[in-house]
Amino acid sequence: MNCFEARQEFSALWRKTATAERRAELLAHLKGCRKCDHAFRVFALTAPVLYGEMEPEAARVARPARREFSLADRPRRFASVSREASLSRQPTRWLAMSAAAAIFVFAASTAYLSTRAPNESLGEALSIPEASMNSETAGDPLAPEMPMTESDLAS
Amino acid sequence: MLGISARSRAGWRLSAKPDEELIAEVLGGDSGAFTELAGRHRPRVERLCRRFFSDEEMARDIAQESFIRAFTALATYRAEMPFGGWLRAIVVNLCYDELRRRRRRPEELVGDFSAPEVQWMQTANVASPEDLVGDAEERREAYDLAHRLLDTLKPEDRMVMVLKESEDLSVSEIAQTLGWSEAKVKIRAFRARQALRKQAERMLAAGRSR
Repeated sequence: MNCFEARQEFSALWRKTATAERRAELLAHLKGCRKCDHAFRVFALTAPVLYGEMEPEAARVARPARREFSLADRPRRFASVSREASLSRQPTRWLAMSAAAAIFVFAASTAYLSTRAPNESLGEALSIPEASMNSETAGDPLAPEMPMTESDLAS
Repeated sequence: MLGISARSRAGWRLSAKPDEELIAEVLGGDSGAFTELAGRHRPRVERLCRRFFSDEEMARDIAQESFIRAFTALATYRAEMPFGGWLRAIVVNLCYDELRRRRRRPEELVGDFSAPEVQWMQTANVASPEDLVGDAEERREAYDLAHRLLDTLKPEDRMVMVLKESEDLSVSEIAQTLGWSEAKVKIRAFRARQALRKQAERMLAAGRSR
């Protein structure tokens, strides 16, 4: 078997469709030819997908039960989560929502309770002390004195 | 045989029918016949999808969408080509669209390998050819790494590689399926092999250096 023939047999060796004789010839060639041995290792890196049965043991175990074909069953290709995954995440989502609601209630209560009650009644708060009615600018010594009554205006 | 339902008895009867007869029944208004048709072709369609996508859910969704498209376009099917080939063209085009949509950058390949992937790369460097074949069947990481390697190809190149190597289609059959010229298929096949070899060499080198 020459190198060209050997490389033609790579896929048959991988798929286990080569005859015992061809297989033995190929293995013998690979033992003696470094270049073909290296080429087979390169080939082996993509062979599981290109030449494999596409049902590795791990994938078979992880696969959920097959759904029957139904026209009503639209593909969920663009959904970010699968139906099974979203169902399994339900408790986690409720937990997060409950936590967020608890934090909101706590923050609102704290804000309400931390505001101080006014020391004076509403009437007191609205009444203006007489002294402060003499001049609007009582606190400002540089401000001109403003007339406050009709007699002041007449004079 | 008491447990056999009328439907499953009908299934036995239908399974003997050729595809063309089932298609005629579907076009005649019996949509149940399409379930039989889809069940017959589903394993092959899903296997083809899994050669393009490592994500099982994605592969099954595309397979499902292919059957829906086939059902809605069944009136356009002409019996000159086998139904399997017609269906394959639908699947391949859907996969092609999806690959173009989620195109990965080649730079993503090197680095960021998981421990089992590194172990598989090391195995690929030292194990005997027979052991490599046996190991690859049992290791999920071999399958994942092969997908990562194929993900580095351009969508056009990947289409050609899968159809040529996995489906054993000739250049003219690929050209017909994809609606390309034969020259384009040949060029794409050549470039795909070159690119794949280059990336695989890098991966083997990464396995040796760790």
